[in-house]
Amino acid sequence: MSNMSQSVPFPESVSRISNLRIGAGAIGLVLGIFAAIGLLTQGHESFNTNSNISWGLPVATYVFFVLTSTGLTFVASLAMVFGMKDFYPIAKRCIWGAIATLVTGFIALGLEIGNPLRMIWVIPTNMATSSPMWWMGLFYLSYAVFLVWKFLLVNKGDWTSGQSKVIGILSFVTVIFAHATLGSVFGMMGMRPFWYGGMVPVYFLITAALSGLAFIMLFINLDYGMNQANMSDKVRSAMTRYMPPIFGLALGLVLVFTLTRTVTGLWSNVPELNIPMSYIVGTFWYQAEIWIGMVLPLALMLSSYRSNAKVQTLAGLLVILALFIGRYEYVVGGQLVPMFKGAWYDDLLMYAPSMTEWGVVILAAAIGLLLYAFGEKKLSLADAPNE
Amino acid sequence: MAKWGMVIDLEKCTGCQACSTACAMENNTLPGESWQDVLYYKEGKYPNVNIKWFPRPCMHCENPSCMHVCPTKATYKDENGFVLIDWNKCIGCKYCMIACPYGVRFYTDEKPLIEPDMKKVYPGQDGQQYSPPYQNPNSDWTKGVGIQPKGVVSKCTFCYHKVSKAPAGVADLDEDNPALKEYVPACVRTCAPKARYFGDLDNPDSTVNRLIADKRGVRLLEHTGNKPQVYYLGDHGVVPAFTRPDKS
Amino acid sequence: MDILKSLITRRRFLQASGAAGAAGAAGLGAAGTFTTLKKAEAAPASSGGTTTITKSICHQCPARCGIDVYTTNGRVHAIYGNSDHPIANGKLCPKGHLGTFILYDPDRFKGPMKRTNPKKGRNEDPGFVPISWDEALGTIAGRLQNLRDKGESHRFALFYGRGWGASCAGLQGTFGKLYGSPNVAIGHASMCSEGSKRAKQATDGNDSYNAYDYRNTNYLLIFGAGFLEAFRPYNYLMQMWGHMRTKSPRTTVTVVDVHANTTTAAADRALYIKPGTDGAMALAIAHVMLTEGLWNKEFVGDFKDGDNLFRTGQHIPAGSFAEKWTSGLETWWNEELKDRTPEWAEKITSIPAKYIRDVAREFGSTRPAMAIMERGPTAHTNGTYNGMAIHALNALSGALFAEGGLHYQMGPSYGSMPVSADDYMDDWAKSGAWKSLPRIDMAKTERWPTAGTMMQEAGPNHLKGDPYKLDTAMFYLTNPIFTAPNGQVWEEAMKDVFVIDTSPYGAETAMYADIIVPDHTYLERLQDAPTYPFEGWPMAQLRVPAVKPVHDTKVYGDILIEIGKRMKGPMADYYKAIDSTENVLRHLAKGFEKDPGDNGVNGFESWKEKGVWYKKPYHWRQWRGDFYEWDGKGYNKKMTADEVKAKLIKTASGKFEFKSAFIEKHADNFSQKLGIPAERIGLIQWVPPKHTGGGDLHFVTPKTAMHAEGRGANLPHAIAYQQPMHGGNRTVYLEIHPDTARKRGIRNGDKVKIKSSVGSIEAYCKYFEGTRPDTVVMPFEHGHWSTLTRWTQNRGSGHSGHLTENVSDPISGLACYYTGTVTVERA
Repeated sequence: MSNMSQSVPFPESVSRISNLRIGAGAIGLVLGIFAAIGLLTQGHESFNTNSNISWGLPVATYVFFVLTSTGLTFVASLAMVFGMKDFYPIAKRCIWGAIATLVTGFIALGLEIGNPLRMIWVIPTNMATSSPMWWMGLFYLSYAVFLVWKFLLVNKGDWTSGQSKVIGILSFVTVIFAHATLGSVFGMMGMRPFWYGGMVPVYFLITAALSGLAFIMLFINLDYGMNQANMSDKVRSAMTRYMPPIFGLALGLVLVFTLTRTVTGLWSNVPELNIPMSYIVGTFWYQAEIWIGMVLPLALMLSSYRSNAKVQTLAGLLVILALFIGRYEYVVGGQLVPMFKGAWYDDLLMYAPSMTEWGVVILAAAIGLLLYAFGEKKLSLADAPNE
Repeated sequence: MAKWGMVIDLEKCTGCQACSTACAMENNTLPGESWQDVLYYKEGKYPNVNIKWFPRPCMHCENPSCMHVCPTKATYKDENGFVLIDWNKCIGCKYCMIACPYGVRFYTDEKPLIEPDMKKVYPGQDGQQYSPPYQNPNSDWTKGVGIQPKGVVSKCTFCYHKVSKAPAGVADLDEDNPALKEYVPACVRTCAPKARYFGDLDNPDSTVNRLIADKRGVRLLEHTGNKPQVYYLGDHGVVPAFTRPDKS
Repeated sequence: MDILKSLITRRRFLQASGAAGAAGAAGLGAAGTFTTLKKAEAAPASSGGTTTITKSICHQCPARCGIDVYTTNGRVHAIYGNSDHPIANGKLCPKGHLGTFILYDPDRFKGPMKRTNPKKGRNEDPGFVPISWDEALGTIAGRLQNLRDKGESHRFALFYGRGWGASCAGLQGTFGKLYGSPNVAIGHASMCSEGSKRAKQATDGNDSYNAYDYRNTNYLLIFGAGFLEAFRPYNYLMQMWGHMRTKSPRTTVTVVDVHANTTTAAADRALYIKPGTDGAMALAIAHVMLTEGLWNKEFVGDFKDGDNLFRTGQHIPAGSFAEKWTSGLETWWNEELKDRTPEWAEKITSIPAKYIRDVAREFGSTRPAMAIMERGPTAHTNGTYNGMAIHALNALSGALFAEGGLHYQMGPSYGSMPVSADDYMDDWAKSGAWKSLPRIDMAKTERWPTAGTMMQEAGPNHLKGDPYKLDTAMFYLTNPIFTAPNGQVWEEAMKDVFVIDTSPYGAETAMYADIIVPDHTYLERLQDAPTYPFEGWPMAQLRVPAVKPVHDTKVYGDILIEIGKRMKGPMADYYKAIDSTENVLRHLAKGFEKDPGDNGVNGFESWKEKGVWYKKPYHWRQWRGDFYEWDGKGYNKKMTADEVKAKLIKTASGKFEFKSAFIEKHADNFSQKLGIPAERIGLIQWVPPKHTGGGDLHFVTPKTAMHAEGRGANLPHAIAYQQPMHGGNRTVYLEIHPDTARKRGIRNGDKVKIKSSVGSIEAYCKYFEGTRPDTVVMPFEHGHWSTLTRWTQNRGSGHSGHLTENVSDPISGLACYYTGTVTVERA
């Protein structure tokens, strides 16, 4: 078994971006703590969520990041589970990215729920197996264990031992179920037609994949200074030959999914589906999501510029933003119609995240970013098995 | 064992909200934390306006979606049909609030409906979310009775602290019976037009069963499949579909 | 009574359940909450003690429902209706339960205080400093004595609102008599519901609201009474509603109002009438009842030859109709009613003639059927006439004193006061110069000859110095600086008056107060309260303290008595003899020894235990055109016409008068004010309202079910439930018809400016299809500007009274709160 790392050049531009990233993470951390200070002084009163809009920006953020983690694991698994060796050069990065985004997601969630520490004992002692959320917790926890385990093995250079392979497979399998149960958390809610549907896990699967791919497009290009000259041949090959079509394909599928959901909502007579969708379509953010966040990057991926590192970085960033908007629209959109509130709330509920909620998001994202930066500096993320 | 249920006669209900305030004081809820609420709906054009209202306690469903989604079994259905929350188990994930089709659940770690915030005027003590000086001495956090701690979800308990002490085998808890009035839920007890009835849905002799049969009782939002144990009488027991109000 | 013995204490529970919960809560819990409250106020109720139930009486509206007050370890924690109380029957309205909060309201005054800031105004902090009761009472007595010594005792006025009984408001008249002021005391009735009382006084001779037999009625025709929101006794009305709507036969209900509310929605028929025109509709109903032969012939009488000669537009021959218990029908028909067709009324009221005819036929052909009304029709310049026209329907249907009809309330069998004030009158009291002076409000003078009281005039009159200037004003359960029409004038008027406020709360009067002598809240009081008009038979409730006073307060009756004791001369002796309100109550209760109540109450102690004395039945009944009196077993004693006149129909004629001698007594006065020929003035007739305010939209300000007579404004829960139909849970919304709003460029939910000739306020609006397009409606509730109560402030809507011109019905004196017009524009 060979544990040798491929050495890559490490020019100025790369270390500048790396430093910028650490700087951004540190600033984000400070900003996040500052903004989230309301949480310490006022508790969840500092959130704009309430008894009617119960899940707001932090939950959307959680969904966004844990599904990104899912997507990154998918990409890593292409190599490590399905043996597609061309993806090995970015696999370790993907695993570490999956860990960082998973941590980000869980920080956002942990700061959102009322008694997070209590979960440690009440969830295992009560075995609430009828709850999709319980299963989601089980699978995400297992996934987190396998993911870290796998990374530790890879970090030791153990890419292909029997144990390493099994753990890789387990992390892939658990994340498939994890994201599916996350989808079910929403999709099983028959009383909320905006969310409801057996296809939601599939919708989450495809958006998760896109989310992971978009992060790769953004982060790996940034890692190499948005310059393919800095990449090893194999990385360059992965990023120019394989990633653009996969990314484009996933983006196309997500665009179709988004449009069909939109059209279904607009066409439907069901008020809980039709009214919030009509409202959402009329917002700037929805239009930005579709045109700038999906159509434009798709066009870029269809053009001959798709292999250009800077174009890829831009496309990745735009898709990330679009997906984030999408998660927010999905999570909040399902709650816009008040549930049997009479004249007290006679219109769509209004919600805009508070400073503290943004603070939670910034804080979680900053921690994720710093975690990734740490890995990038210290954990030789460019490693790949010797062939 | 009983299967406690409620009947609300919309023909008699005057929409006065005494049920709501009786509940608020009995259970020391915060303004806006309406375990029991009265919901008004308006349709029609002048001069033909159709105004409906629905008193809304927790429905204590036979098949409660809130319970099924709870990741910690904090929400549970007890053997007498109460749907309760164990505040020692609740992690405050609010999934039950998402899943309740009747909007009966509250998370009071939120911006206050009425300023100044009662939670600041009467700061919480002994772990309570807030501690007003006029508290009901009954408190049982494993049943969601009393003033909740922070970070948990609260809702109507069918006045568990009263009903659970009722003599066994009683068919109806009728507030007009002096021997039973202390066991009657606050909202039922105070209802001036006697639009509310509370009794055992498993007991063939109960008034609630009789009323449901004679007056063709309905359950609200039946399509959600939750099968409420609260029935409504009257020919207008249909919740109007959501529409946005005329804006301009 | 020990009801719930085994209680889990919170502390014990926490120990049992381990630290996990607490740790979880602490993990994210809000650490820094701020309060300036005293520890005692914030301490949670300790648990595990014995629960006692005190029988007392609610205070949040005039109805006086019996309440069970639950107290554990000295803390009140629940209030329910008293099952043994005839009004409450174990039930309460939404306000009743909130009494616990009134008791523990953190904004209550903690004890007597005096003002240190001599400047008065909205933005002036009174700078109150605590003083002792001795200093407070001494200051007041000294000031009063000084006035009296100067021969200016008339310059002391005592204003009161909800007088409860002999132990509070009942003491005031004596105080005025002994002290020597025509202005002790001036009640608030003219700012309340005086119109319906005057309409009844003018037609059936009773200066009173009615008692009603809802239990047995089969038809209710309700004119602007807010039956399911603001009529009283509200709790009992709702009990009766449940009964009426499910009994056999079901009581049919038609509601006439200016906007849709829960009453119109719950009724069988809702008719939205142009404000102030209810009288025209009532006249048209009467017209149809007569032309179609639907009047009650046993009560009213009939044509001598039996043929119905009432034909639209045609006179009936003189002497052709033989009246029984009414008088003036012939003149009424010939001079007024013959042309009052539904088609005529449609033009005035906007109610389609077809519906008026339908209502008339239903009302005329259903027995018993009664027409009820309150401020909707009567708070207008033509209010008394509107009220008379409506009340005339009760005569035509024969509902007066009938089963399922209307009665008048009997008083309780009280004992006499400990001593008689007549024995304590000095010369000044007997014949001082004050005796010849008018009241500051000019009630019962040529200005307002038939008004019992004109509180709304007192402030403006003082400002003008007409008839004179006040020196000192004391307020008991009234707050005219806020509630009077165009109260802004009072804000100016009270600047140079020494103001004594007795309220436990810091309302606007307190902002102007020079001295605060806070009353107990009702759960701390010992106080009698004979029933408001209810079912007719006599009843006297007693407020019994559920807890010791939470703060250093004193019951109002004792405040008056203590001031009296500090005066000079025989007045002080009188109050020393009176001693205390408890002594007064003990003497009143002696009356029950001779006349024990149905519930066994036969003295003070049993009264205190049960909280109510009552004695059924009502003593009189009109049955098929004859009057009978209760003889102890049944309505067996047939009454003579003279007995009926003495006891029931107290008009000059002893009959229900379609042509009112009461009004004719002041024919010239009213003729001049109303522009009606003197010879017609007594007729029940259509008089067009004179709308005030100078706007293009009628402005109506009803009270909601949560409106606790001014005691609800600082209750967070009451605020949160204030206007359920429109989602008013922080503010109250202006109801506006969408077309009306659009024409003015106003969007649903916009903040609007509402202007009249006397003021301008802001509020948020809600489109409502149930409001007449020519009318806007905003509940009278918010807009308090006192800075002494925290929850009343910043409620997002102004005070409707600031738009109301101070114009009153010349006959009743009722302030015309609902006759104003406004303009509305986007703010």
